[in-house]
Amino acid sequence: MAEQKYEFIGKCLFFPVEGILVIGDLHIGYEEALIESGILVPEMQVKDVIEDLRKIIKKIQDEKHSIKKIVFLGDVKHMFSWEYIEKKNFNKILEFLNEYVKEKDIVIIKGNHDTSELGLPLKNYYIENDIAFLHGHVSYPGAFDKKINFVVSGHLHPSVTLAENPGVKKESYKCFLQGKSKGKTFIVVPSFVNFYEGIPVNEYKDDFWEDFSIIPRKDILNFKVYVIGEDKVYEFGKVGELN
Amino acid sequence: MTKIIQAEESNAQEIKKVLHPLVSEWFFSKFNELSLTQKYGVMNIWKRRNILISAETGGTKTLTAFLSILNYLVILAEKNELKNKVYAVYSSPLKALSSDIRKNLVEPLHDIEGLAEKKGIKLQKIRIALRTGDTTAYEKTKMLKNPPHILITTPESLAIILTSKNFIENLKEVEFCVVDEIHSLDNKRGAYLSITLERLNEISTSWPVKIGLSATIEPMAEVARFLVGISDDREVSIAKINLEKKIDIQVLSPVKNVVEDEGLHIKMYDLISKLVQEHKTTLIFTNTRSATERVVNFLKERYPTVYGDENIAAHHSSLSKQHRYDIEERLRQGKLKVVVCSTSLELGIDIGFIDLVIMLGSPKSSSRALQRLGRAGHQLHSMAKGRFIILDRDDLVECSVIQKEMVERKINKIRFPRNCLDVLSQQIFGMAIYKIWKEQELFNVIRKSYCYSDLTRSDFLDVISYLSGEYALEKNHIYAKIWYDKETKEIGKKGKMARVLYLTNIGTIPEESFIKVKVAGTEEVVGMIDESFLSRMRAGDVFVLGGKKYLNRYTRGMNLYVASEVRKNPTIPSWFSEMLPLSFDSAVEIDHFRTLMKKKLKSNQPKKQTLEFISSYLYVPSETAEAIYNYFLEQHSFLEIPDENTVIVEKFTDNDKKYLLFHTLYGRRVNDALSRAIGYMIGALGGRDIQVGISDNGFFLSGENMIITRALSELKEKNLEKYLKEAIDRTDVLARRFRHCATRALMILRNYKGVRRTVGKQQMKSHFLLAAVKKISNEFPILKEARREIFEDLMDVENAKLVLHWIEQGKVKIKMVETPIPSPFALNLILQGHSDLIRIEDKQAFLRRMHQLHMQNVIKRGKIDG
Repeated sequence: MAEQKYEFIGKCLFFPVEGILVIGDLHIGYEEALIESGILVPEMQVKDVIEDLRKIIKKIQDEKHSIKKIVFLGDVKHMFSWEYIEKKNFNKILEFLNEYVKEKDIVIIKGNHDTSELGLPLKNYYIENDIAFLHGHVSYPGAFDKKINFVVSGHLHPSVTLAENPGVKKESYKCFLQGKSKGKTFIVVPSFVNFYEGIPVNEYKDDFWEDFSIIPRKDILNFKVYVIGEDKVYEFGKVGELN
Repeated sequence: MTKIIQAEESNAQEIKKVLHPLVSEWFFSKFNELSLTQKYGVMNIWKRRNILISAETGGTKTLTAFLSILNYLVILAEKNELKNKVYAVYSSPLKALSSDIRKNLVEPLHDIEGLAEKKGIKLQKIRIALRTGDTTAYEKTKMLKNPPHILITTPESLAIILTSKNFIENLKEVEFCVVDEIHSLDNKRGAYLSITLERLNEISTSWPVKIGLSATIEPMAEVARFLVGISDDREVSIAKINLEKKIDIQVLSPVKNVVEDEGLHIKMYDLISKLVQEHKTTLIFTNTRSATERVVNFLKERYPTVYGDENIAAHHSSLSKQHRYDIEERLRQGKLKVVVCSTSLELGIDIGFIDLVIMLGSPKSSSRALQRLGRAGHQLHSMAKGRFIILDRDDLVECSVIQKEMVERKINKIRFPRNCLDVLSQQIFGMAIYKIWKEQELFNVIRKSYCYSDLTRSDFLDVISYLSGEYALEKNHIYAKIWYDKETKEIGKKGKMARVLYLTNIGTIPEESFIKVKVAGTEEVVGMIDESFLSRMRAGDVFVLGGKKYLNRYTRGMNLYVASEVRKNPTIPSWFSEMLPLSFDSAVEIDHFRTLMKKKLKSNQPKKQTLEFISSYLYVPSETAEAIYNYFLEQHSFLEIPDENTVIVEKFTDNDKKYLLFHTLYGRRVNDALSRAIGYMIGALGGRDIQVGISDNGFFLSGENMIITRALSELKEKNLEKYLKEAIDRTDVLARRFRHCATRALMILRNYKGVRRTVGKQQMKSHFLLAAVKKISNEFPILKEARREIFEDLMDVENAKLVLHWIEQGKVKIKMVETPIPSPFALNLILQGHSDLIRIEDKQAFLRRMHQLHMQNVIKRGKIDG
C-alpha cells in the first residue's frame, strides 16, 4: 500500500514522505495579552506547548517515521509587536525542537500577527516537492505554481460546534479542513492554542469571509471536516452540510 | 459568644432629661411626641449601648440615630469641646442617600443652629461630609485637614478610607458607627462590611458604639451579632419596634377563571390601568427587568392617550445611574403617575408619596412583600395599601399564602453568607495596604467578624498563599499582591500601585454585560439579553424577548443580530436566572396549606365549608377562595395533592422523552440542589446527560435511561454535597460564578494599568482562567468559593439536606405514580421548559456518538462518495 500523503497527528499535520511536521497558529503571548486586559492568568503556555509537542513527536516516532523538518504556519506570536517575553518563550520552544531537528530545518511562515521581526528569518511561503505552506491571509503566486498539488494553511483556526437539540447541548472541537480550491488540494490546520477551540466553521457569518482568507467562502462550504478526537480524527462530511 | 439583650423602652421624661435644651426645643417644635423607635433608641445610644433597631418603613429609625448623635455633638459644641476628629460614621448601602440625609441630619442641624443663633448661644460648627465613590480628590484633601464630625459613607468607601494612613488618624476615636439598611446586606456586600467593621474596631482606641438600623427582620439575634461581631466581651441590645401599622392588602385576579380565559394578558393590563387611575401615584413591582419594560411599553401602546413618557417610567438596575436618579426625583416631586420597577425601588430611599403598591406576580417572601408594601403611605401611622395581581394559579396560591404571612407578621429569616474567600482576599489585600500584620493578629481580627467567625486556618492560609503568589506556576508573580514571610509570620503589601489597584477594583457586586439585540439590516434595537444567555444559543435558534420571537442570525461584538417575524417555535427556553426564588419559609407555609386542603377534600365535607376555611385561613374574598378551591379539586381528582408529608413523583412519556416530575415545594434554591444531585446520579447510572427544569414548586428530569429507584436510595443527607460538586463541575453556572468570584478576589481586574476594561470581553475570555486554575488545583481558594457561592447563596444546600433528612427519617415519603399526562399542579413546571443540562457524557463520548449519528445519516442519504 502506498504511503499516505499526509496524516493528522493530534492537532498537527504530518507528511511522512517529506518528514515534515506542520504546526498551526501558536499565538505565543496570548497569556500576556490576557493579563494586559486584566485577566490575571498564570503562565503555563510554554510548558503546555512543549508537553503537547513532545506527545505528538513521540507518536510520529512510534510509527517509525522520522521528522526532517518542522513548519510553523504563521502567527507564532499573539501580540502585533514582539515583546521581550514572547521572544524568550518562543526560543524555549525552539530549543526543545532543536533536540529533534536542526535549526535550519525549522521553517517559520509569516502570519498576520507577525508584523515585526523575530530575529529569525520569516518566510511568506515555503515549498517542498508539490506542497506549498503559507499562513492563509495573503496569496502569493509562487505558492500556486503548476507543480503544486497541496496547499497547507493556518489562519482560520477552524473548529466545529456539534449540538444535539439546539440550546441543550453544544460542544466545540478543533478540526482540520480539506478540499479543493483554486485547482489545489487545501488543508487548513487548526490553531495550537489550548483551552480555545477556534472559530466554528459551521457558524461563519455571511459577511465574515471576504477579506479574511484567501479561500473563497463557496469553496470552504465544500471542504471536508475532520474533527480531532482524543484517540483519532473523525470525518464529519462537508462544512456546508454540517447541521 | 456575643451576648444579646432585649432593649428596654425608656419614658419620654427620661429622654427629655438627656436632650440638650436646643435639641429638645427643636424636636418638639417639629414633632408632638417621641416615637416608639426613639423611646427604644435614644437612651440606649446615650448610654453607649450597641443596639439593633428593627422597625417597619416610616418608623423614624434614621432620625433616631442622628438625634442621639446630634444631641451629643451639640452638648460638646456648646462647651467648646468639639475636637477635630470624626465622632460618628454612618454607612448605608444605598447610592442615593442625599435626600434622606438632608431630611434627617442636615435640616435638623441647620434648624438647631438657627435656634442657637436666635438665642445667642454660641455653638462650634458641627461638620457633616459625604464620602462616596464620587467624592473628588479636592474634597478628600479638605476632609483630611478638617475632618467631618459626622462622616456619611458607603460600606465600600469606608473600606477605602481604612487603607489611608493619614485619614485613619481622624478615625481612631470614632464614638458611634451607624449601619443602616442592614436587612439588605444578606449578601457578599454584608460579608464585606462585617470585616470592614472589624477593621474600624481594630484601629479604634476605644469601642465605637454600633447602631444598626433595619426594616422588619428575622432572626434578630443573628443580625445583631452581625452588627457587633463575635467576641465574649461584646454585647448588643435588640429592639423590635412593632408599630402595628395597619395594612390594606388583597390578592386580585385579572379574570374569573385563570385557566380558561385566554385574555388574561390583556385583562391584566386593564386591571392595572384601572387601579392606577383610581389612585394618585402607583408603584408596580414586576420582579424582572424584562417584565418592567414590557409593562411600561404595553400600557403606553394600549392606552396612548393616558400613558406617555411624562407620567410613566420604568426603573431597574440596568438603567443608567442618571436616568434612575431622574425618575426618583420626578417621583418625589409627584410628577409621575406610575413607576414600574423590578426590585430596584424596594430599598428605603425616600420616593415621596405613593398611595398604591401593585405586586405583579409573587414577591416570593413575606419580608420582601412587606418591604414593598412599606413604600406606600410612607408616613407613620398611615395605612399602606397593596394589591397582588396574580399571573397563574400557582401564583394565586403563593400570593395568598404570602398575604397570610404578612397579615400575621410572619417574617422569613435571612442569612448572611459565611466564609466567602473572594471577599476575604479583597479585604486582606486592603488590610495589608495600611500596615504590616502578624499572621495571628490578622486572623484574630477577621475571626471576630460575624461572617468569618468560624473561618478555618487552612482556608485563611490558602487565601494568603493565593495573594502572595505562591499558587502561580512559573513564578511570574502576577497574583502577588501581598508578601508573606514564613519566618517572621508577617504580611504586608506588595508593589507601589497596591492602593490604586485596591481602590479602583473594590466591590462585591458583579458586573454583568448585556448584549444589544438588533434587527439585522435595520440596526433597530429590540432589547438586551444577558451575555450568558447568548452563550447558550447558536445561529438559527429562536428565542423570546419582550414577548416576541426572534431568530438568532449572528453576533458581532456586543451586538446580536436577529430576524423578526419568526414562525418557528422557540428552540431556547426563556432564561430565568434573574427570577427571585421563593423563600424556604414561605414554601413550607404553602406546603402546610396543601396538607390542610388535602384533608378537607378527602373528608368530603361540603364545598361551602371548605370555601369558608380558605377565606378565613388565607384572608381572601370568596371569588379568590373559589379559584383556589377549583385548582386543588382538579389536582385531587386527577391524582393526589402533594403535601408536607408526601413528595409525589410523576412518571410520564412525551414524544418518546421520559420525564420524572417531582412535586417538591421547597423553593427554587432547594430544588436546584435536589434536582442536580438526583439528576447527576440518574445520569451517572444511565451514562447519558439529563435535562432539568426547576421551579419553586418542584423540578423535572428528562433523559433516556431513568434509573430512579437506585438513585433515590443512594442519595443521602451526608453525601449530597459530594454528588453536587461533581454535578456542577462542567456547568455554565460554575463558570459564571467563578468569573464573579475571580473579579472580587482581584484575579480579574476591571481597572488595570489605568484602563477600564469592558466586562463583555473579559467575560468571553475568562474561561482561560478557569481552565488554568483547575489545572493548578481543584481546591484553589477562589474556585472553592465559587462552589460555596453556588451551594449556599444560589442554592440552599442546608435546607436540601434538611429535606433529605426528613426523607431518611420517614417524615416525608416519596410516592411514584405513572401519569398519562402531567397533573394540574405539574403543568406550569412543564410549560416553562428545561433550564439546564447535567453533563454526564464527556466531550469525547459525545463526539463519538455525534459521529455515529452523522455516519447513519450519511448511509441513510446514500451519499457515501468516498
